[in-house]
Amino acid sequence: MSGTVTASRRGMRREGRTRPARHPHWTRGSWYVPWLFLGVALAVVSTFVLFPFFNTLLLSFTDATLLRGGQFVGVDNFRELWGDARFRTALLNSTLYVVCVVPVMVVLPLVLAALVAGKGRLLGFFRTSYYLPVIMSPVIVGLVWTNLLDRRGLVNSVLGWVSAVGEPVPFLTDRWLLLFSAMFVTIWMGMGYYMVIYLAALANIDPTLYDSADVDGAGTVRKFLHVTMPGVRNTMGLIGLFSSIAAFRVFGEVYVLTDGTGGTGGDNLTMTMLIQREGTGLQARTGYAGAISLVMFAIMAVLLVLQLVAQNRQRRNG
Amino acid sequence: MSRTNRRVYAGVAAGAALTLALTGCGVGGDGGADSGGSGTDGKIAGKITFQTWNLKGGYEKYFDGLIDAFEKKHPGTTVTWVDQPAEGYQDKLSADAAGGNLPDVVDMGPEAAYTLAGAGMLLNVAEDDPEAEEGYLPTAWDAMTFDGIDGGTYGYPWYLNTGPSFFNTDLFEKCGLDPEKLPETYGELFDQAAVMSENCGDEGISMIGRMPTIETFGMYGAELMNGDGTEFTFNDAEGVELVERYQALYEDSGLTEESLNALQTGELDSFKSGQLGWLPGSSYTLSDLKKTAPDVAKTVAMGPLIANTAPNMYLESLVVNSESENTATAKAFARFATDPKNQLAFAKEASVFPSTAGTLDDPYFTEDDGTDEGRLRTEAAAQVGEAVVWWPPAFSGGPDVENLREQIAGALLGKKTAKEALDDAVDYSNDRLAKQ
Repeated sequence: MSGTVTASRRGMRREGRTRPARHPHWTRGSWYVPWLFLGVALAVVSTFVLFPFFNTLLLSFTDATLLRGGQFVGVDNFRELWGDARFRTALLNSTLYVVCVVPVMVVLPLVLAALVAGKGRLLGFFRTSYYLPVIMSPVIVGLVWTNLLDRRGLVNSVLGWVSAVGEPVPFLTDRWLLLFSAMFVTIWMGMGYYMVIYLAALANIDPTLYDSADVDGAGTVRKFLHVTMPGVRNTMGLIGLFSSIAAFRVFGEVYVLTDGTGGTGGDNLTMTMLIQREGTGLQARTGYAGAISLVMFAIMAVLLVLQLVAQNRQRRNG
Repeated sequence: MSRTNRRVYAGVAAGAALTLALTGCGVGGDGGADSGGSGTDGKIAGKITFQTWNLKGGYEKYFDGLIDAFEKKHPGTTVTWVDQPAEGYQDKLSADAAGGNLPDVVDMGPEAAYTLAGAGMLLNVAEDDPEAEEGYLPTAWDAMTFDGIDGGTYGYPWYLNTGPSFFNTDLFEKCGLDPEKLPETYGELFDQAAVMSENCGDEGISMIGRMPTIETFGMYGAELMNGDGTEFTFNDAEGVELVERYQALYEDSGLTEESLNALQTGELDSFKSGQLGWLPGSSYTLSDLKKTAPDVAKTVAMGPLIANTAPNMYLESLVVNSESENTATAKAFARFATDPKNQLAFAKEASVFPSTAGTLDDPYFTEDDGTDEGRLRTEAAAQVGEAVVWWPPAFSGGPDVENLREQIAGALLGKKTAKEALDDAVDYSNDRLAKQ
C-alpha cells in the first residue's frame, strides 16, 4: 500500500518536471502567499472567535466584574451556578426550547418545501410568503406577536368573539403559554429559511425514484416517507444541528415577548438572557457570566457531537 | 476515526468555539485606579468632554448657551457636548468605563456613580471641592455621598424630579369609588384598590399597575440599608407588611397578571389606556398625558405622592472623571452647570427641580399661575423640600431591581411567603454588593 502511494508521489514529481518552469520570484516568495490569503480571515477569527473564547474560559474561573479584573476562584462560579435557581430555570427553558422546536423545525419546513417545490407562479408566491418572516427583524416580529397575543390583542379578541374562551388566554403572563408562544414565533420565523435549504436538497433527488414509486403504486404520503425523506436525510441532520444551536441560544423572541423581564417571576429566562443579565451593565459579573457561557458551550458541544455520531451511525447502517 | 469524520469533528469544535465566543463576555478590564486629580494643575484651561443622557432633543439652545457662557468666563477652555440616547445609556457608560474612555464630565444617577466611584473612576468632590457642599440641598448632597464606599461625595447634584399621584376619576366613578375622596395613605390605597377590582376587575381594570420597587419600600417605612451602607435590610417588618398587602390584593383579584411583571413603561401605558386608577407620576407626567392620552388627561385628578414616610424623588448628578486630563476644568464646568443660576434656567426649560440651596424659593416654584401645570409645579416643588432620594445608590438598576420584582411576583404567586421572598431578595443584593 505504502509502495503504491510512494510510486504515485514519485509519478507526480516526474509529471511536475514536465511543466513549464515557474517564475523564479514566484517560487522564492511563495511561502507567504498562503498567509496573504489567510491573513484577513485569521485576524478576524483570532479577534472575534479565539480571543473571546479563551478570555471567557479564563474569566469563568475568576470573580471578575466589569470594572475589576478579578482573582482566580477555582470552580466557585460553577458551584454557585449549581445552587442558582435562575440558572436551573434558564437551563430548563432552553432545553425545552430545543426539545420542542427542533423536531418541528426539521420536519415542517420539509413538508412545506415538498408542497411548494416545482414551477408555477402560485408556488412562487407561497415560497416567497413562507420566506418573508425570515427577513423580518426579530424585534419587530416580537412586537407584532406581543400585540397579537396580548390580553386585549387580536388573538384573544377573535377567541372571545367566536366564544372559544370565556376569559382572555394569558399568552404573555402564564409561564408555559408564554414559552410555547415564543416557540411558535421562533418556528414561524425560521421555517422559511430551512424550507429554502430543503428546496435545494429536493432538487437533488433523482426524479426516476418518484416514477418508480408511482409504478409501485405508492401514494403521496408513502412517496414522502420512502423517497423524499431518505433523499434529504443528510440535510435533515444538518438542519437538526443548526436549529439545535439556534434553539438553545434563543434570546430575541423571549426577550421581546416578556418586555425584557424574563417573564413573571423570571420564569421564562433562557440561558442567553441570563448571560446578558449577569454579563452586561456597570455591575456586570463577567466571571460568573463567563461560567454560564462555558456551561452553555459544553452542553451544546455534547449535543452536537451526539447528533453527529447518530448521523454517522445512521449513514453507515443505511 | 476517518479523515472525513476528523474534519467534521474539527468543524464542530470550531463551531462550538464560535458559539462560546458569541455567548461569551467582554474583557474584564481592571479599571481600578486611585481616586485623585491626575493631570490637574489647578488651571482652568484646555478641552473637556461633557456627556448628557438624552437631552439633545429640545435643549440644544440651553446647553449651547451654557457652554458659551463657561468658555467666555474661562478663556482657553473648550467644552465638547456629547449626548447619548436614552436606550442603552448604561451600556454606553459600561463600555466607556471598561475601556477607560469615560468623558470628563458625565450626567448620571447616584446608582451608576456608586459603581464607578467604587472602582476609583470618579472624583471625590467632598475632598477636592469641600466648600461646594453648602451650595446644595442637604438631601441632594447626601444622595451623592456614599457611606458604603468611604463616605465621599462623588458628584455635584444636578436636577431633581418628583411628582404627585395621578388618579383616573372616570374609573373611580365607574368602579364605585368617590373621586372626591382620593387615597392619601397606603391603607386607603389598598382598600380602594380592592373596591375597584371587585367592581371592574373582570374588565381588566385595577388601581395598582406594578410591583413595589425599592423606593416604595422606603416610602412605606422599611429600613432599606444598615447605617454604614454595607448591607440591605428591607426585609424588615414594614417591608414584609408591604408585600403581604400586595399578596392580599392579588388573592382578591385586585392586581392583574400583567402587573406582576410590568415595568414603569407598562404601568404608564396601562394608565394611558384607561385601565389603571393610580399612577405615581413625575413633574412631566401631566404634559405627557395631555400630549399622548388627551382623553385620560381630562379625567385626571392629582394628589400628593402616597407615602408613610417622606415622598420619593430622583436625582441626576454631574460627576467628574478622576482620570481627566483637565480635572480642574472638568470640575469647574460641573460646578458651573449645577450652580443656582444655571440650575434654575434648566429647571424652567425641562420641568425639573433644582438641587441648589435656596433656588426653590424662586417665585417660579412658589407662585401658582392658575394652570394645571403651575399647580403641579408648585406642589411638587413644595414636595421636594420634604422628599428623600429613597433609591440606595448601592442598589443596582439592573439585577437588583429585576430580582426584587421577581421575588415579589413569586410571593404573590404563592411560591414563597412574603418574608422568604424578601429574605431572598436581600441575600441576593447583599451577595452582589459584596462581590463588587
